[in-house]
Amino acid sequence: MSKRSQSPGVGRRNFLKGATFAGAAVLATPVAANTPLLDSSTERAKASVPGPKLASAETMPPTADPVSQTTSGGDFMVDVLKTLDIDYLAMNCASSFRGLHEAVLNHGGNTKPEILTCPHEEIAVHMAQGYAKIEGKPMAMICHGVVGLQHATMAMYNAWCDRVPVIVMGGNIIEANKRGPGAEWVHSAIDPAVIVRDFVKWDDQPTSLQHFAESAVRAYKVATTPPMAPVMLSLDAELQENPILDAETLHIPKLSMVVPPQGDTAALAELSRMLVAAENPVILCDRVARTPAGMARLVELAETLQCAVVDNAGRMNFPSRHPLNHSFRRSVIAQADVILAMEVNELWGSLNAFSDRIVRSSVPSYRKTAKIVTLGSRELYMKSNYQDLGRYQEVDISIAGDAEASLPTLIEQVKRLTDEGRKTAFEARGKKLAAAKLASIEQAKSDATIGWDSSPITTARLCAELYGQIKDEDWSLVGSSIKLSWPHRLWNFNKPYQWNGGSGGAGVGYNLPASLGAALANKRHGRLTVSIGGDGDFMFVPSTLWTAAHHRIPMLYIVHNNRAYHQEYMYLQAMATRHGRGITNTEVGTTIKDPNVDYATVARGFGVYGEGPIADPADLGPALKRAIAMVKSGHPALVDVVMDPR
Amino acid sequence: MKQGGFGRIAAAAFVGAAFAVTGVAAASAEDAAAGDAANGRRLYLADGCFECHGRAGQGGAMNYATPALAQLEMPVESFVAFLRAAPRDMPAFSANVLSDHDAADILAFLRSLPGRRDAKDFPLLNQ
Repeated sequence: MSKRSQSPGVGRRNFLKGATFAGAAVLATPVAANTPLLDSSTERAKASVPGPKLASAETMPPTADPVSQTTSGGDFMVDVLKTLDIDYLAMNCASSFRGLHEAVLNHGGNTKPEILTCPHEEIAVHMAQGYAKIEGKPMAMICHGVVGLQHATMAMYNAWCDRVPVIVMGGNIIEANKRGPGAEWVHSAIDPAVIVRDFVKWDDQPTSLQHFAESAVRAYKVATTPPMAPVMLSLDAELQENPILDAETLHIPKLSMVVPPQGDTAALAELSRMLVAAENPVILCDRVARTPAGMARLVELAETLQCAVVDNAGRMNFPSRHPLNHSFRRSVIAQADVILAMEVNELWGSLNAFSDRIVRSSVPSYRKTAKIVTLGSRELYMKSNYQDLGRYQEVDISIAGDAEASLPTLIEQVKRLTDEGRKTAFEARGKKLAAAKLASIEQAKSDATIGWDSSPITTARLCAELYGQIKDEDWSLVGSSIKLSWPHRLWNFNKPYQWNGGSGGAGVGYNLPASLGAALANKRHGRLTVSIGGDGDFMFVPSTLWTAAHHRIPMLYIVHNNRAYHQEYMYLQAMATRHGRGITNTEVGTTIKDPNVDYATVARGFGVYGEGPIADPADLGPALKRAIAMVKSGHPALVDVVMDPR
Repeated sequence: MKQGGFGRIAAAAFVGAAFAVTGVAAASAEDAAAGDAANGRRLYLADGCFECHGRAGQGGAMNYATPALAQLEMPVESFVAFLRAAPRDMPAFSANVLSDHDAADILAFLRSLPGRRDAKDFPLLNQ
């Protein structure tokens, strides 16, 4: 599909003809280099006759010093971005991309892309990560290629681990003789992308505008081809700022998206035979649904087979209340004779029970005789340094291909192989699974009653109260940086945009800005965005709220205020207990107390509506109602809820 | 703080089963009387039990779901034995940091917690 065709009015050649310098540039004549200063130790010649260089310097016109220009390379770069249909450019302003910044505003009209002002580069990248998972296309961000990129790196790593495309650009000044003293030197690098090369899929540093056009289109294509990932372009400042000298030759190449690869047909046929013949097949999934079609296809496969689905919830893969959703009954894995794992990054971790002991050990949680088949794009692109690949899991068939793209063929083959006898068996299996699912839902409700009236408020109570307020809205839960199982246990997730997975790399500081990016995507669809995030996560990136207020991005943000970096709190407790000492000391360095943070006041300071701290569960419903009214009027709102740990 | 989905959440059944296996017999009235629930509550909070199991004993999550302990039915001897050799990611509490007496107090506190109620009485849980 050509993206270019979606951007009428921006042709490949209707661009900036007749680029010229204005003013003194027309007078420019090459001038000899200045006469070098004499060494102070050299005796000055008396009454020397001017040499040819000195005579020339004193008699020729002044050095060319144009004061204005009618074109800039940044304008062309903006036109390239427009052809890629990039809606937003998230940034924290920086001199190394001032040329492109100005061009986005005054050549591009600050639309496609529109600038998002972010107080930190980590916020900008995480916004792009959250946005892409809801909108289904990448956003761009730009930063100083040195210090800004250093800020952006952790977020880029999260996006890398989460298989999310982000177009990252960084300013640089390539030619040493063009750099001004001071900041321009410390903000320049020979190879800026080196610090992110382990977790971007591709990078380049164009040295001409034509080079930029081709690399930008290539970057978009590479980033959005499964397995998706961030890409990085380093942009020379002069290339952005200076006049275009070769406008007639510039050409914006056409973008043709890669058709995601299906798994091998013969391998899918073998898989379908195994699934149809199995007594207890189980589908294990993580990042299967990359478009709205993904969930529907997975439902069709599961319903055809009437088999259990265990969803690791990296995306909105499968409806939470579907009778075949057994994500909270992982014992089905132990009963499985065939396990189909689709787009699961760390399969070993899903199939083995690991014990974090002095001597670390593990036991398989699947039958030795079970056949395991993987289907996914993960193994089509790997890197070595960062270990986001998990322990090697032995499998019987490993099918390389995009799972969502492969599902139609797999479904067709399964249906073709299913005779009446198997169909009857499938129906019987489905009935048992449906009954077990109903029981698990009732169990979840019963579990949620424990501590119902407690203060601090239980996470179950919060989730029940929140769902009560949003269930009749077109809601979208876009973040939960804590291990909150309650939404998926209690809520009815059945639309492709109602969940978008986690951070990917478990880097703290994801939830708030990524939620805001997702909220930005939801805004144009009129959805009510809600997110639940930890207080520790919030503390990394609180200024995200200013961006929310500044750009009028509606979002209900619940701060799960357990006053701790709680996972680490538990780990430290485990260490002290293992060592048999000081088990009452573990608050030091792990808790966020003394003073307690008043997140509602922080929110108000950034121009965001704030409620809380809410510690009495009786106050929670009314506070949520007021905050949701604010969100529905088009504004962000925050509710600080003092909650139990998990 | 780590983040993640609910990949290992249902492993709670494993730990829950461990409690159940250890507590073969139902708790006796003598057991309940043996502990000081008020001191047990203090220890439950001070020694970090609440971090994984919740202040109301409602359970929670670490690397997988952690079981609810409210109204735990287990003989005190079994409870102490479980703490001394806890399975998987749960740290084992030696007598150096938690005496048998204090463990009994914690058990008394857990038994004193209200525990679960009938979900049908909660409209917010039936939507």
